[in-house]
Amino acid sequence: MKLQSITLENFRQFAGRQSFGLDSDNTRPVTLIFGANGSGKTTLLNAFTWALYGGFSDDVEQQDRLVTDAIWRSTPIGQSVDVSVEVKFSHDDRSYRLLRTATLRKESDHQQRAIPVVQLWATTPDGASEEINAPQEMINTILPQGVSRFFFFNGERIENLVKKEAYAEVQKDIKVLLDLEQVERALTHLPKVDRKLSADLRKNGGERAGQIQEEIDELNDRQEDAKKRRSVLESEVASLNAERERVLELLRENADAAPIQQRRDQVEQELVEAQRAYESAVTDRATLIATRGFLAFTDVLASDTKEMAEDLYRRGALPAPLKREFVDDLLEKKVCICGTELTEGSDSWRHVQNWRHQAGLQAVETAWQKLAGNVDELESTRASLRSDLSGIAKRIGDEHDRVDRLIAEKSELDGKLRGSRREDVQSLEGKHMELLDMIRAKEQQVGSAKGEIERLAKDIEAKTRERSKAEVTDELALKARARLDLVQSVKKALTEILEIRATDMRNRLDKELKEVFATITHQSHVPTLTEKFELTLHKLVNGVELPVPKSTGENQILSLSFVAAVSKLAREIRTERRAEEQTSVDAGTYPIVMDAAFGSLDEDYQEAVARALAKMAPQLVVLVSKSQGMGKVITELMPYVSNLGVLETHTTAQGEVADDIEINGTAYPYIRSSDTDRTELKVIL
Amino acid sequence: MTERTRTEKDVIGALSDEERALLKRVLEIERAKLHLSAYDGTDDILAAVKGIIP
Repeated sequence: MKLQSITLENFRQFAGRQSFGLDSDNTRPVTLIFGANGSGKTTLLNAFTWALYGGFSDDVEQQDRLVTDAIWRSTPIGQSVDVSVEVKFSHDDRSYRLLRTATLRKESDHQQRAIPVVQLWATTPDGASEEINAPQEMINTILPQGVSRFFFFNGERIENLVKKEAYAEVQKDIKVLLDLEQVERALTHLPKVDRKLSADLRKNGGERAGQIQEEIDELNDRQEDAKKRRSVLESEVASLNAERERVLELLRENADAAPIQQRRDQVEQELVEAQRAYESAVTDRATLIATRGFLAFTDVLASDTKEMAEDLYRRGALPAPLKREFVDDLLEKKVCICGTELTEGSDSWRHVQNWRHQAGLQAVETAWQKLAGNVDELESTRASLRSDLSGIAKRIGDEHDRVDRLIAEKSELDGKLRGSRREDVQSLEGKHMELLDMIRAKEQQVGSAKGEIERLAKDIEAKTRERSKAEVTDELALKARARLDLVQSVKKALTEILEIRATDMRNRLDKELKEVFATITHQSHVPTLTEKFELTLHKLVNGVELPVPKSTGENQILSLSFVAAVSKLAREIRTERRAEEQTSVDAGTYPIVMDAAFGSLDEDYQEAVARALAKMAPQLVVLVSKSQGMGKVITELMPYVSNLGVLETHTTAQGEVADDIEINGTAYPYIRSSDTDRTELKVIL
Repeated sequence: MTERTRTEKDVIGALSDEERALLKRVLEIERAKLHLSAYDGTDDILAAVKGIIP
């Protein structure tokens, strides 16, 4: 999706009809729009999302006042006003015109809630144009509403993206963006195809194949039941967890329970960390033993070897490359190995005679030194193994003690809440414990359902193989079996592709996230996207990963890094060669539209974030105030800017309010006195 | 190569021509109707199967 233009008509502060071009290319992907506080930056951001989805973000006040106040006031009672936002964009080789309009009939000074209508037209590269029948569904395919949070956002509120309650939604929405959704949908439809084809085989397949097919059908039914059961159980676990979180929230808000609950929250978090550190230490010990453990058994071996070698050395019996007997043989035969005659007393004879003295002795010396060195080294390696092992043993012991101490403290805190004199606290804690028991029981059932699904999958596979081998004579049945085998193979391949894509997606997002985050922050913190799609931040202390409490600024940087990573990955994934064989030039391209992009970040961070986003986003629309954007941000972004604009504020406020903004040496009106409150969207570049 | 290190390309490469054709067709069908949440691709996929093995 690449934005081409936006046109607003009587939309909030934007009176009349106002357009702004957003076309940009890869070398200059940035559109920069300045506006004073209250000028309509947030409104402009919301104009995009209103056009796309028909709603505003929570931070927009008076959401029903859709029509510009001045226009509404000047409209006579009984007459109507049109309000609309039109967004033109391209996506997957097609151009789209999206128009959301509402017509409001004035019945009083108060604006009633509007019921907007959305229309969408698509034009293909050959010029054919059509109106899309299900426009909202199509928009949700191009950019699902949930996913839009990555691309249209308020920088000051972006940390919401990494809040715990957002993870499940983020994970779900991102599937569409990263090409997982169609695979999942295919996997729900293929079994139904399978079922229709198997009816043909049952009917015409003869006794044996028909019987096997019935068995497969029964296994499929059981597997389907188990899957449904697992799905129900998983959502039950999720709602029990949500209920537990609500109970904990009540405990946190209760004046008597709050200090205890807060401490319990801390202890629980530390306990998770301590358990992780303990497990990591145990793993480290196992790795050490597996790779260097054999050294522990070399004590006697080394001393015996050394003793034996010393004896051999004393006797000159260690193997040597040049043997004295060999030299004696040459002297006796009076011919050197090179053919020279060895006449007694000649130079050649003396030369070889010298070798006779050296042979054996020097080689023995060398061999001995080498062996002695190796044996000594073995001893020092053993010593370092011992010290490493005792270091790890200490770590294991310490972490074990920490786990024990935290469990004891947690039990104590549980007891305090359970035994509280306040009945409300007591009952909340009772409820909490009851929910915990239920969650554990449900999780066990989820595990057993998963096991059953896996067992049934194996049985189905075995029966399918049996079906392929069973004798079938009827032509229709043969065809049905071939079709079933085909569907089965494709289902298997798609299941594998889904797993590969999901793992690959998470790993690559994690890698991108780490890279982007490292370019922005000067802290040594490392972000991770966990298997559950949680964004965590940690640092390494003596080889142990410790969580870092995230500040608002850090959450903003983490979120912006995640946005940049998602944007980059969506583009990469769609342009790679995959089963769909897509070829679209701008496949996977999405714009990033940010209001107050640099929020409360320090200037250094503003600079780094601006640089990272300008380089990573294929299209970037930044809405900033003079104070946020005129320093390092504009310096970083200017080389990448295609479109430059100012939201010119016209205000009825009294006094000397006029203000200008100076861009590239030219002053432009920023705020002006007026007889009506409105904003004009001025194009500078 | 172990099962875990297989790539999407490996999976596609291991399929027969017929299987690869159906895989591509199934994904095309699903992708084209991704915006219609009520769409059930069963009949379209069944037709694709019968098109490949007539």
